[in-house]
Amino acid sequence: MSNRTLSRRDFLKLASAAILALSGLLGLEGLFRFLTTQTEPLPPTEFDLGPASNYPPGSRTLLADIPALLLHTQSGFSAISLVCTHLGCTVESKPEGFACPCHGSRFDLQGNVTRGPAEKSLHSLRTGITSDGKLHVYTN
Amino acid sequence: MRRYLFLAASFSLLLGLLITAWQESRHPKPIALTPTLTGKVEYCLSCHGDLPEISKSHPVQTFGCVLCHGGEPLALDANLAHSTMRGGKNPSDFSVVQASCAGSNCHSGTAEDFRNHIQRATTSIQATYAGAIANIRYTFGVQPDLKARLGIFSVQVSQSTSGITALAAFDPTQETNPYVKAFGQNCLTCHLSAQPLPGSEYFRFTGCSACHTPTQSPDRTNTEQVQSSQIHKLTTSISYTQCDTCHNRGNYDLRTITFKPRQDHPADRLHDYYQPIAQFTSCEWKLDCVDCHTRTEAMGDGNLYSVKKDIQYIQCKTCHGTLTDLPQTRTLTDPNDLAFRLATLNPVIDLKLGDTILVTEKDEPLWNIRVLPDGTYELFGKADNQRYVFRPVKGSACTQDPARQDSGSCHECHSVER
Repeated sequence: MSNRTLSRRDFLKLASAAILALSGLLGLEGLFRFLTTQTEPLPPTEFDLGPASNYPPGSRTLLADIPALLLHTQSGFSAISLVCTHLGCTVESKPEGFACPCHGSRFDLQGNVTRGPAEKSLHSLRTGITSDGKLHVYTN
Repeated sequence: MRRYLFLAASFSLLLGLLITAWQESRHPKPIALTPTLTGKVEYCLSCHGDLPEISKSHPVQTFGCVLCHGGEPLALDANLAHSTMRGGKNPSDFSVVQASCAGSNCHSGTAEDFRNHIQRATTSIQATYAGAIANIRYTFGVQPDLKARLGIFSVQVSQSTSGITALAAFDPTQETNPYVKAFGQNCLTCHLSAQPLPGSEYFRFTGCSACHTPTQSPDRTNTEQVQSSQIHKLTTSISYTQCDTCHNRGNYDLRTITFKPRQDHPADRLHDYYQPIAQFTSCEWKLDCVDCHTRTEAMGDGNLYSVKKDIQYIQCKTCHGTLTDLPQTRTLTDPNDLAFRLATLNPVIDLKLGDTILVTEKDEPLWNIRVLPDGTYELFGKADNQRYVFRPVKGSACTQDPARQDSGSCHECHSVER
């Protein structure tokens, strides 16, 4: 068994190496976090509503995530955006149409303005049915 | 020696990295919000998610925070995030209000004149204080008449029905009269850009928030102090207690040119409402100031004025009429009538097309007062939501003199003793 003692020079070398190794690990961790940081995703523009058969003729379905109102009439599917054309608040569905809770704009059942301050009708959203029968709504 | 230096440098590097990592670990986990109106991500809710919605008209999901408050939207460090905020906690201060609250869809720059609130408020006599300044300068012989020439800040308008199109900034240090100088030092505490006097009873914000952010409890018996840091609210439901932060707190003493605070602090509304020497009728202390005084009176009409009475015009007859004439009314036939907008912002009354409301002599809607089928009127308190029914003077036993319609004359019979 050797009776070797650590010289001061070796201790300094070892300590420096250990500190540099720790620093390297910390730096790598920071670099890893930097490289793996994801930007905030853009809001989706396409929504899969599942089987179109879930929305029978005559139905009015509130789609809170979009937000929109899905209508299934005799002429097919249509969707009205529930984003107020004044400043972008979400309008509320009423028996007589839609009402903006922020500034009082009113829209009829077709989304046409009946009271300001909004000046434009609620936007109509495009709908489509995929080959596997799923209903999609597009906001772009 | 080189080895020691190398070790020291290595240690410094590690220490720096550890400090950076520690600082990073103290940042909150980012909570992203993409407001509908801006479409740009902001992280303010990472720390401020517990704040209540500021108003129904400004939902955070639509407006976000940065549009009004400024600040660095992506910063998670508090100092950095707040470094570019406008007006500190109050973006409605008149020094920054144009950047915070303006816009053609917002509070100025719109084609609809009645919505240019910033232009009206910043030229109002509550903002310019032009009447008080002119009065003091005239009283002490500095100017030849009561016409306003100076305001708290310089302001000009392209045209004005009063004939005054510009005010220069009042600078007390440039005044030579000692009384006017003292007025500038002691008495500029109640305009909309002035910091409030010390004391909770005076506490209010500046700018729009002086009135629209409630810092005073509507209930004087509620002794719980309102903490400024907890206030995140904009409202048109304004209690008289908010007006009282300036209007009912004392008097300016012309002999000493100092403010003399009101010494009594009654908790009941009857005694709190007016200064001790004043006469008043029951409606004046049961109602809130905003129940009768209109937005134009309080916020101005875009003209520059010399005295309060040039803009304040509501009298008893506005709502009660005269012996020969009923108060003026308007039947709501246009869904875009301003009355509906105002009733939406403060829904104390369910106005419908076909309703008949009272209007002022200047055709401003008194949207909270509706004509009832029996010829009486119902008023809904804008701040307390109470319903009051009152009747017109015409057909009553009132003996008013049609030529004396100021409230002082009505007080001769209708004042309430305390």
